[in-house]
Amino acid sequence: MFSYYFKLGVRSLRRNPALTSLMVLTLAIGVAASVSTLTILHMMSGDPIPQKSERLFVPIFDVAPVDNYKPGDKLRENQVTYQDVMNLLKSGQGVRRTGLYGIAAPIEPPRKDLPAFSANGMAPTRDFFAMFEVPFLHGQPWSAQDDERGADVVVLSREISEKLFGEASPVGQRINVMGLPFTIVGVIDKWVPQPRYYRLVGGEQFGKGEDMFIPLASAIRHETSHNGGMNCSERSDPGFQGRLRSNCTWLQFWFETDSSGDRAALQSYIDSYAAEQRKLGRMKRAAPNHLFNVTEWMQEREVVGKDTKLSAWLAFGFLLLCLVNTIGLLLAKFSVRAAEVGIRRALGASRREIFRQFLIESAVVGLAGGVLGLVLAFGALALLSMQGSEVAVVAHMDLTMLAITFIMSVLAAILAGLLPTWRACQVTPALQLKSQ
Amino acid sequence: MEIRPILSALLRNKTGAILVALQVALSLAILANALHIVSERRHMSARPSGVADEHAVFSVSVRNLFTGGPEQQLATQKREAETIRAVPGVVSVANVNQIPLSQSGWNNSVAVDRKQVDETAPSSFYFSPDSIIKTWGLKLVEGRDFLPSEYMDIDNNSDAVPGQVIITKALAEKMWPGVPATGKNMYFGTGEDAIEVRVVGVVERLQTQNAEVTARGEYSSIVPMRQYGGYPGALYTIRAEAGQRERVIRDVEAALRRASPTPVILESVTLDQHRKDRYRADTALSWTLVTVSILLLLITASGIVGMASLWVTQRRKQIGVRRALGARKADILRYFITENFMITSAGVVGGVLLGVALNQLLVSKLEMARLPLEYLITGGVVFWLLGVIAVYGPAWRAASISPALATRSA
Repeated sequence: MFSYYFKLGVRSLRRNPALTSLMVLTLAIGVAASVSTLTILHMMSGDPIPQKSERLFVPIFDVAPVDNYKPGDKLRENQVTYQDVMNLLKSGQGVRRTGLYGIAAPIEPPRKDLPAFSANGMAPTRDFFAMFEVPFLHGQPWSAQDDERGADVVVLSREISEKLFGEASPVGQRINVMGLPFTIVGVIDKWVPQPRYYRLVGGEQFGKGEDMFIPLASAIRHETSHNGGMNCSERSDPGFQGRLRSNCTWLQFWFETDSSGDRAALQSYIDSYAAEQRKLGRMKRAAPNHLFNVTEWMQEREVVGKDTKLSAWLAFGFLLLCLVNTIGLLLAKFSVRAAEVGIRRALGASRREIFRQFLIESAVVGLAGGVLGLVLAFGALALLSMQGSEVAVVAHMDLTMLAITFIMSVLAAILAGLLPTWRACQVTPALQLKSQ
Repeated sequence: MEIRPILSALLRNKTGAILVALQVALSLAILANALHIVSERRHMSARPSGVADEHAVFSVSVRNLFTGGPEQQLATQKREAETIRAVPGVVSVANVNQIPLSQSGWNNSVAVDRKQVDETAPSSFYFSPDSIIKTWGLKLVEGRDFLPSEYMDIDNNSDAVPGQVIITKALAEKMWPGVPATGKNMYFGTGEDAIEVRVVGVVERLQTQNAEVTARGEYSSIVPMRQYGGYPGALYTIRAEAGQRERVIRDVEAALRRASPTPVILESVTLDQHRKDRYRADTALSWTLVTVSILLLLITASGIVGMASLWVTQRRKQIGVRRALGARKADILRYFITENFMITSAGVVGGVLLGVALNQLLVSKLEMARLPLEYLITGGVVFWLLGVIAVYGPAWRAASISPALATRSA
């Protein structure tokens, strides 16, 4: 019976073309609006590294020199100081650790036909690549000795490598970075996590990947200026060396633990570390020391902006309106068929059967709305991605969202069909037949 | 009055009327809030930066690949400024550390007294060895611009800071409400190390690099200095002659490349572009909301047309009888329009309540602004009009029903 009702439903789409197309269009627009905003929300708030997000932690300390902490004060720092990075790297806590900061360094291509250009990248330690599962196309990360010595080695992105050296592996070659010769040790494959959860402070949270990586110790040795924010709660000594000794926060730090259960141990370590620093005259505010895992860190940094949430809410309000509209239109469509229902009921169809038939017909409308809605949603996403560079990278539909579109559309239509269908079932056959 | 019979007819067949009223209520609630947000964002992104005639202003960042020592860097910066100044069409140039609306730069905290524990306000920290008041056309409302003798070139590794500062009116009001700020001393930071500077002038307005929505967006301070010896490059802000900007950008870049003995990386950005980038998300949201609002109106109108058409079909016979008993076309038309007006009114009342509730939710959850009543009133009028226009077609068709035909059939 299902397939028969389904066929009837498809046929009845043609019966009242104006009304039906209005219905399908309404549903499609509502679904498209909610799906496109939901896609952006889904892509923005999705877990970028599900297998590890519970095991990667950002520590944050309050390093202000004054003793005026009141419980409930907002977190004042979002990065860490150079001193703390050095101490934590040596701490041996967790299975891996890395400290990093953003850099913008000029690269001079070995080919003379290309002009020098500025590359955006980072200065992390070796563990970074393993912690964030960065895929390598050629070569490998630099060694632990390179980290210690601050060696002039560089890992390039695939894009930069292909721009400078074509398809061939450039590992072992030298290029000038910041006017100094650096040896290429590796090239990473395409790696553009959205959001850029590994460095949510400074730069855009969504967007391009990194152009290159050099060891943290090397960047410090060359006094490479940092590309990103800095927060100083007290006056620091002048110059780069002064900044290294200061209580200015401008680097980011990550721990990786063996299991998510090791969090408590890590927390107690950073608490005791902060207590020790307090004895040395730092961190006088004695504010709580924070650990954030990946999802908590994304929330703290407000990766999903208020405007995105607002759009999603409005889109669902809009879908609700479309639903109410569809109910009205279905009511109109079904009410003119009272005579048909009367005859079927008189010939022995139960209310249940009528209910099924009309509900399936509503679902067919929903399916048509879903197909059209999908087309519209693709159009809406294309439009949205033209407006903002940050949105462009997240305005892509994946399979989950595709499935959700259809389910949502059909569900919406069935929901909208419930009342009109119930009304259709109330038709009394005798009355209908008599009035004919 | 014929309201009573219409009302009792409506009450006998409520479903359709409720659906239409619900649609109007939902649309009105969303529309009023959406349009309010749009107008707020429009207003926000049109706030003046303080820079006169923004279209003529752009900036060039220069990164030198080979820099030499600090002294050489200083000489390079001075030479670059001269090179730019010599380009025809350049009205004024200033070496500067940051640009308003550019979303990256320096902040500093300021205090009225060094004994304070907490700073008085955060402030955006501009510095330049040239007069940015002149280049940007900032309006001095108190005091004076810096004297040539006050500008200092400061080595990145030294600790010196000039003793003068020019602040914005907003910052002056925050620090010394109701009192002239010129001549007063203020501090960068607090405590022993705080740097003491004297306010020599107040400008009407200079937005910060982030142009925050709060009063903070105009808390800026300007210091007469240049730093050199740190980052191997410099940023120049340039005012071009009216209508010459694009050509001047090209000529400035070419002149800088020609004048530099070693390779340089140049990046020019207009202030218009900075403004566009700063408010990109707001513009995108505005367009989304405008689109949604238009669709909202269309869908609600189509809903009203659909339901009214249905009622006309259902009541063909009754209309025929009424017409046969002497009702004129105008009476039928009025019946439908009045009926629709009653339904829309119920929807508008519901929409006002729903709109206020929705706004309450937005205020509490997403920190949006409170909705002024005007939006709801205007929205209500729009929906009343929309209702009348939408129902007119079906009502006209009803009125055109010939009494003879309507009563005979079936």
